[in-house]
Amino acid sequence: MSTVHSNNSNKPESTEQVFQAVNLDIPNLCRIEDTPKEDMQEICMEMTHAVYPHDKIYGEFCSIQEYINCPPEKVYEYLANTSNFLEWTFSLRDMEYNEEEDLYTFTDAIGGKTKCFCRTTSSPEAMTVDYHCAWDQENKLWMVYLMRVIPAELVLDKPGSVVLWTNCCHPFYNNNPYPESAPSDRKVWVGDMWPMFYAGHSIEMQNLKKILEHRHTQKS
Amino acid sequence: METMSLVGAASYLPENIIDNEHFIKASGIKRHPMFRGTKLRRHMDPTESATSMASAAILSLKEKLSLDLEKDVDVLITNVTIPDIPFVGCGAAIVGALGLKPKLVYDLQNGGCVSFIFMMELAQMILNSSSTKSVIICNIQTAAGRICGQEDNLKLPQSAVPGDGCGVAYFTKGNTNPLHSAVTKTHGEYANDMNIVTNDGRKWWEPGSTAFNIDFSEEKISSVIARGNKLVPEVMYESLALAQLQASDIDILITNQPNRIFLRNWREAIQLPEEQHINTLPDHGNLFGAAIPISLALGLDSGRIKPGSKILLSGFSHAGDYSASATLTWNG
Repeated sequence: MSTVHSNNSNKPESTEQVFQAVNLDIPNLCRIEDTPKEDMQEICMEMTHAVYPHDKIYGEFCSIQEYINCPPEKVYEYLANTSNFLEWTFSLRDMEYNEEEDLYTFTDAIGGKTKCFCRTTSSPEAMTVDYHCAWDQENKLWMVYLMRVIPAELVLDKPGSVVLWTNCCHPFYNNNPYPESAPSDRKVWVGDMWPMFYAGHSIEMQNLKKILEHRHTQKS
Repeated sequence: METMSLVGAASYLPENIIDNEHFIKASGIKRHPMFRGTKLRRHMDPTESATSMASAAILSLKEKLSLDLEKDVDVLITNVTIPDIPFVGCGAAIVGALGLKPKLVYDLQNGGCVSFIFMMELAQMILNSSSTKSVIICNIQTAAGRICGQEDNLKLPQSAVPGDGCGVAYFTKGNTNPLHSAVTKTHGEYANDMNIVTNDGRKWWEPGSTAFNIDFSEEKISSVIARGNKLVPEVMYESLALAQLQASDIDILITNQPNRIFLRNWREAIQLPEEQHINTLPDHGNLFGAAIPISLALGLDSGRIKPGSKILLSGFSHAGDYSASATLTWNG
């Protein structure tokens, strides 16, 4: 398989040689060498259900994805600019930026006067944007929002972008380790909303899509 | 519109019981997914016919319900997988064998594994548009003995799954055990994904020296699984909605019995515990269209279907060409 960015140092040298899978001394791998095709088919059927409980899909990880009719570099640029939270997120407002610490501070209106801190790391080559966030304190930014932009041309054979967005259920969602940092009158904790992350993030993804598609159409 | 009421159900299972060892020996394959799920199945004997199986099941129904077969059967509707004579179904032969005097006889060729529900829907239309008052619906599954039992086919692990049997049910006008809803759907786009295949590529009716078999195109297997997972829950919920019932109202689920994974998935789709889904797969294999009435008879005979039970019938056929679902209440 050829890739556009060829910085993989583990690539074999190009020869006429045909490379084979090696025997691995690791139990319970499922590979064609020891799992007949018919067994594989049964395993796959076993794993394929007609319906899935919400928790089975979104319990430990919350991954969503959407197609956006806007060029990938524009989508990446927009996501990499953290101040755009003011536009596409449901409740992050009142942004301040500390250049020295490269740290954004918002009010997350969903938690009343709750402060939400964010440091953004992005990679233009991979078109990934990671928001390292936390409610109430900035010392451990444990709420990590992982975004990746993919040219739709590659994966859907059409112009535009596909955006992948994943959150992992960090243990702090279930247990706030910094209760003392919360506003004294606040009753909600961000982790209580984890079962709604699929819905909430999907709505925000729709905001993102509408904003970017609106501007892209205006321009073109 | 008058309601159609279920009076009772009965079955006939051939005496010839075949265990997995038979198929393991014939195929020379010790381990295969097709050998899991089904442990036993019946194969009809060459001396038996679809007509004789149906007659035996109807006689059992007569005994159970004290029917006068000459007077109490206005309509006979049948479906048979591999008929005794390719030209015709079994309706007339059954009428002749048992001395029935029905006003109407229909042999249905479509519906496959959910033909019982297609026939229920037809029965309701007939009862509501004629002076007839009673219907026997009859599903005869003969493909295990007649196809899978052939020497050439016996070698194939998938031949271990089907089993033969006949299920019959008796309905009358009335609302003692009312049918609340019946939904049938035809998906023409999947009609050609199940085929009759032969080793030498001939048409099944052309002469040859090897047995023909029924097969699904290998490249379609994943799609057929996806269809079963989608079509059946879809039609289940449609028939529940039509009956103004919730999935949680259902006490007993009866489906066709293609494999244990579909059974699990359909049960999960209405969040029903395993013990409330009648499962004949381990003891009788895939009974095709006969699975639904045989399960119904089994549920009634064993007392698993209790007075007041809300029953959901569902399934799909072949490679997805038909799907159907119905709801009824058994009051006893």
